[in-house]
Amino acid sequence: MAERTLYEKYGGFSQVSKIVLSFYDTLLDNDEVGPFFDDVDMSKMVDHQTKFIASLLGGPASYTDNQLRQLHSHLDIRDVHFDELETVLRGALVEHGVAAEDVETVVAEFAKRRPLIVG
Amino acid sequence: MTIEAINEQLLRAIGVGVALLDRQTLRFGFRNDTFEEWFSGEDHPDHLQQLFPDLDVPEMQNTLAERGRFTSEIRFKKKRRTLVIALDCTAADDDVLVLVCQNITRIKELESMIDSYSMMVERNTREIKREKEQVEKLLLNIMPRSVYEEYKTFGVVTPQLYNPVSVLMLDFVGFTEMVASQDPSVTVTELNDIYSAFDRIGEQFGCERIKTIGDAYITVAGLPDPTPDHAKAIANTAIRFVRYLTRRNLSHPHQWQCRIGLSSGSVVGSVVGIQKYVYDIFGPAVNLASRLQEFSEPMQISVQDEVAQVLKDQFDIENMGSKDIRGFGEQDVWRLSDNS
Repeated sequence: MAERTLYEKYGGFSQVSKIVLSFYDTLLDNDEVGPFFDDVDMSKMVDHQTKFIASLLGGPASYTDNQLRQLHSHLDIRDVHFDELETVLRGALVEHGVAAEDVETVVAEFAKRRPLIVG
Repeated sequence: MTIEAINEQLLRAIGVGVALLDRQTLRFGFRNDTFEEWFSGEDHPDHLQQLFPDLDVPEMQNTLAERGRFTSEIRFKKKRRTLVIALDCTAADDDVLVLVCQNITRIKELESMIDSYSMMVERNTREIKREKEQVEKLLLNIMPRSVYEEYKTFGVVTPQLYNPVSVLMLDFVGFTEMVASQDPSVTVTELNDIYSAFDRIGEQFGCERIKTIGDAYITVAGLPDPTPDHAKAIANTAIRFVRYLTRRNLSHPHQWQCRIGLSSGSVVGSVVGIQKYVYDIFGPAVNLASRLQEFSEPMQISVQDEVAQVLKDQFDIENMGSKDIRGFGEQDVWRLSDNS
């Protein structure tokens, strides 16, 4: 039997969708990283965040390293942006009752991708 | 507080944007707080068209004239968030239009999220289906389809008696020496080629390959579906195995010589094992084919007496006399040759 993912542990899509929405809301209001999404179409943006959160929690989305690198290559993302996004992510997880150790797991997953995104 | 005052308070406070317009000029007469909050431009345009430049006003007027009601949807960015507002315009009387606006941004965002999610799930479902097909293909390689269907439905396979069937047992001459003297990976690759060819030949005659153990190859005719001419099917298969190897040896440095034994009788077929499934057959016919194979010279086919009686009329077959077969006693053994 495969180990239960955090995605399953926190109630699958019905719960994870709430994390996605609050992440989305915070992100748009955030003036540090928000501007990256200035010209992004709403449905694309939601699609992106849904897959982002789902993949970090071990849900039904996964990006290969190459995809991630390619998708972000046209953006001038700096360490400070990445740090800020980490804060936003952490906030959304804590707000929806994700246990501290699980937050760390997710954030660690997120941090692993830094070299693909920043640069 | 008068009723009118209360009404106005309510109208101002509700979370729905409400505005009243002059029907002819489309100028705003009243806008509630929610409406102002959403559409508070710096210049406070007092004309509908100024506020919503993308709105098709002639069409709106036409629809209102026909049905007394007009609905539309507008999207705009507030800061960097796309807001989606549903407009609902009703002609209250000849002079006044009531414009009701609802913020459906969240609904649209959720719709997008469901789209995104369902696409992920559908893709995963397709992947799982593909994987399932792969597993199925693998399982079908180790057991007959009918047995697999039984296994899939009930989770177990009842051992089944097949009677009569014909069994072919093939063994290579000097295989052990070959593995020791040549590069083993080359030997195994060649063995794989040969077994694949055997599988194809067997398939043509309705034979089911049961298993290979190293250099031994066992195939059966008459299983899982009964075949009246199982003996002829197995004889044809055996002849073609030899023919294939003969031809192959002409063009390959490694010479593959086989011994074959053919027998008929009953076998029991079943899946053995729980974690590591093996479909196998058991019965005297299997053992006899194995013994008979030992009586063959390289590239020869030894046949049980019972099988020989069936083959006599159509095949080139010669009596080798009575032999003492371990576990089976004295029996006539026959030699089957390729007469073409």
